[in-house]
This record gives sequence, structure tokens and C-alpha cells, in this order.
Amino acid sequence: MRKHAIPAVVAAIALTYGLLTAGGQSSTGSALRRTADGHPDLSGVWQVINAAAWNVQGHHAQKGMPAGLGVVEGDDIPYQPWAATKQKQNYEKRMTADPEGKCFLPGVPRIMYMPFPFQIVQSSDRVTMLFEYVHAIRYVHMSGKKHPEGHIDWWLGDSRGRWEGDTLVVDVVHFNEDTWFDRAGNFHSDELHLVERYTPTGPDHIDYEVTVEDEKVFTRPWKMRMPMYRRKEANVQLLEYECYAFDWEKYYPYPGLW
Amino acid sequence: MIAVFVRTAIALIVVVLVSQISMPVVAQAPSGQTGQTGTWTGPRLADGQPDVQGTWRPQISGGRSLEDPGVPGSVEEQANRTKGLSKKNPSRVSDPADGKVPYQPWAATLRQHQIENENVATRQDHIDTQARCFILGAIRQAANANEIIQTTGQVVLINEAYHNFRVIPVDGRPHVSSRIALWGGDARGRWEGNTLVVEVTNLNGKNRLSHDGDFLSPTARIVERFTFLDGQRLTYEATIDDPKVFTQPWKITVPNTRVKPSEDDEPWESACHEGERSADLMLQETSSK
Repeated sequence: MRKHAIPAVVAAIALTYGLLTAGGQSSTGSALRRTADGHPDLSGVWQVINAAAWNVQGHHAQKGMPAGLGVVEGDDIPYQPWAATKQKQNYEKRMTADPEGKCFLPGVPRIMYMPFPFQIVQSSDRVTMLFEYVHAIRYVHMSGKKHPEGHIDWWLGDSRGRWEGDTLVVDVVHFNEDTWFDRAGNFHSDELHLVERYTPTGPDHIDYEVTVEDEKVFTRPWKMRMPMYRRKEANVQLLEYECYAFDWEKYYPYPGLW
Repeated sequence: MIAVFVRTAIALIVVVLVSQISMPVVAQAPSGQTGQTGTWTGPRLADGQPDVQGTWRPQISGGRSLEDPGVPGSVEEQANRTKGLSKKNPSRVSDPADGKVPYQPWAATLRQHQIENENVATRQDHIDTQARCFILGAIRQAANANEIIQTTGQVVLINEAYHNFRVIPVDGRPHVSSRIALWGGDARGRWEGNTLVVEVTNLNGKNRLSHDGDFLSPTARIVERFTFLDGQRLTYEATIDDPKVFTQPWKITVPNTRVKPSEDDEPWESACHEGERSADLMLQETSSK
């Protein structure tokens, strides 16, 4: 009995320290890793586990499409009437019209919930996100500078982040109108404005919430929310998905070679 | 919508063109700054790695050619080059001594065909893999400026222009399964004093190493040496061992200098994607000539 006393004290101290250092509004459980400046260290390989890339709303399975409970708050996207019609048209022709099928950069937030891992690399003035999907790179600027003047047509927008406690809050504007939210034809205009909130709820989980605002398309702001999971394989690393906009495999490096 | 398409397409063409108009010509041959392996005396990171973070730019950048790299910046200089009046840049190929990639005859024929067709593309394969926005890979990414960010057990190289990145583990882990073939290959690094030594295997042999159609096979093995000389200079060397395509192992040498950090500098999105619309425009332009 006695020999367990010291480890028990150590455990109690560790737990207290963990709770203290975890700080922040939503953080619970084991201690977060932190950077030298005291913010949560989100470095590592992450991925969602859901079917939002196919349809952000609740849906049953179809051929080639897994079922999903939906990630939209209230499961309702408040389209303006014309936009609701357009979404239905998009849905009907989704297998050919989805811009993702052309291998364009898939936009934000879609790139965050594609069924591929991504890696976060954190430095003092930037959070850089590296994606296995079409080797996309997303820069979240943490320098405190404002969005550049625009409008600028970017696929992934311009991301400006700040810490609110342990939550990374990212404001994103300057989008083009050429991406969809999912394969189901949910869409936006170039007026899209996002506020993302990345809240670590433990060393291996991030609570991801994104508020979507677009006065051209929706009647009010709406939200999506989902967990992101740290990929725990000991040998985890990003591989590649170069997409297949055309049958490049037979042309390179030279036709008929290998 | 059409306006957006045209605007984006023009922007993409500009990106492709600008990428070929690279840094000013330097008179010095790269041999003036070969890697000198030694001890690292600079700052170190918590995991013991030499801290080499920052942006590094080749003295002669651009992926047009390995043997005749870089294109002078101004329109006038470009015209001079076309007339053969401009001074050539030194070849990046440092071994063999003649500065030529030692292709086997059949491979040299393929590359020559590409050199003759790269600017008058009539077939899909005439369009360079960089214009397609495929992953540049070990050697070609080194032809561009790279930002180095280091995290625990990893060195990350970021090339803004083609949104290319390489994550190089330096934690001693083994290579991925030999069944996996990658555009950028599978990189494993280790620090030897002031030199990051990277072994690249698991190549898919699909990408080209320059606009001139240089290439290697899936069984190629590349050993890269990033030698950090004095905090301001980096010598990049890569040795390519690939008996399937070449008559002997060969080496390229690319001297880099550190880019002075500026508060105004921010990396921005460079929209390059595999469904690259400018690639189709290149084919259309040729067919309309």
C-alpha cells in the first residue's frame, strides 16, 4: 500500500498540472501539447471521419457514397429561393459538374473534411496546413495583419487566425465562386465569409466548427461542426493524391514507358 | 463566370511564364561553392536538429533546364538569349564534368523530342508536368525557392509557387513499403554535422525534372545533401543512381542563399491544380497557329 503512495501523488500532481495547463474553455482530459509561447500545439497529422465530403447534410448511402448523419447544425442550409433551386440542379448533375471532379483546389471548408489526411505545421506567425489531397497548402496567417484588400479570387481564400484561449479562430474571405461544399451540389458565391474555430479537446482531438456567411446565397449564417482526429499510426505520414482530371498515367514521363 | 474563367486562365498562364523567367544570371559557376561537410556551430532546436529555418533561394532558379538553367529576366535579355547573344548559365550538372545528363541513347532521343516540342505542344505528353501542377519532386523542387520549417523529427520544405511541399522525417524511421510509388518519392533524412542527407526511394518515375523533359525511372535512387555553410549559404547536391536510364550515376549542384526575411513577406495561395486549364489552352494555341 505504502509503495503506491508516491506514484499516486505524482499522478495527482500530473492531473492537476494537466487540468491547469489545459486551461481554455473546452479543454478537458489529458494535457495538451503546447508550443513555447503557451498556445496549443496542433502539429501532427489529422483527419475527419465522416461523409461530409459527399453531402454535408444527413443522407443515406448510394452507389459510391457512404451514408452520413450530417454535420450541419439543425441539418438545414438556409438557401435563398433561387439558390435552393440551383442546389437541386447541381445535385442532379453532380457526377459531372462537381468542380472537385476536375481536380481544382476544393475550397474551404471542404478541404478540411475530404477523406484524406492533412498535416498541421505550426510556427510563431503562421499555422500551415499541408494536404495529401492534390498537395494543397493552406496558410493561416497569425501575424495580426488584416486581410489584404480585394476582392481576390482564391480557391482556399485568405485565412487570418488568432487565439481565443485555447481556440484557434480563423477568419476567411476572398473566395472564388468555383467550389462546392460537397459532392451534393451545396454551393456558395464569392461573397463567402467563414469563421472557423479549432478547439483542442485533448491531445488527439479537435472540435472543428465553421460558421458560413454569404448574403448572396443564404438568408442567414449557418454552422457546421465535426471532430478532427489525430492519426495515431506510429508510421503515419502524408502520401499523395494527385487526382485524375485526365488519364495522365499513360502519358508520363513518356507514352508507353512505365 | 466566363470572365472569371478567362481571368483565372490568364493568371495561370502568367504563373507558368513567370516561373520560367527566373532570377538574374550569375556569372559564378556553381563549382565555386560546393558542399563542405563540417560541424554545425549555429543554433539548435529542442530535438537537437540544427536550426536552418527560413527561406532559401537558388542563385539560378527555375525549372526550364538542368543543363542550361535559368532565363534572363528582362525582355531584352530574353531576346538576346534567343539570338544566342546572352551568356549561358552554368549547368546544374556537376558530374559528369561536361555538364550533360548522361542518358542512354534511347532516353536521349525521348528528351530531344520533348525539347523540340515543349513550346509547340500537339500531344498531351508535350505538356510539362510542372505546367500540369504535378508534384515537382526532390530535384525539381530544389530549382525553386524553398521555405524550411522544422518540427520535432521532421524537416518541411515548402515551395509556394506550385504549392509543393516535402515532409522529410529525420527520426530514423524506415522507408514505406516498396509497393508504394510516389511522384515525390519517399524521403528519409539524417543530419551529419551541418549537412542534411536525404535518401529518396519509392519514385513512380512519372514526373519530369525540367521543361526540357529530363526524367528518371521508378527504380532510381536519389541521395540529396543539403549543406548549410555559414547560416547564409546552402549548397544543394543530388546524386542520381539509375542504371535503367543513365550510363553512370550523375550529380547536380545548386548553390542557394538565404532570403532576408521581411515583415511584408507572406506566402499566398498559388492556384495550380492538376485539372490545369492553361495546359489545355497550350494545346489550343498550337492548333490555332
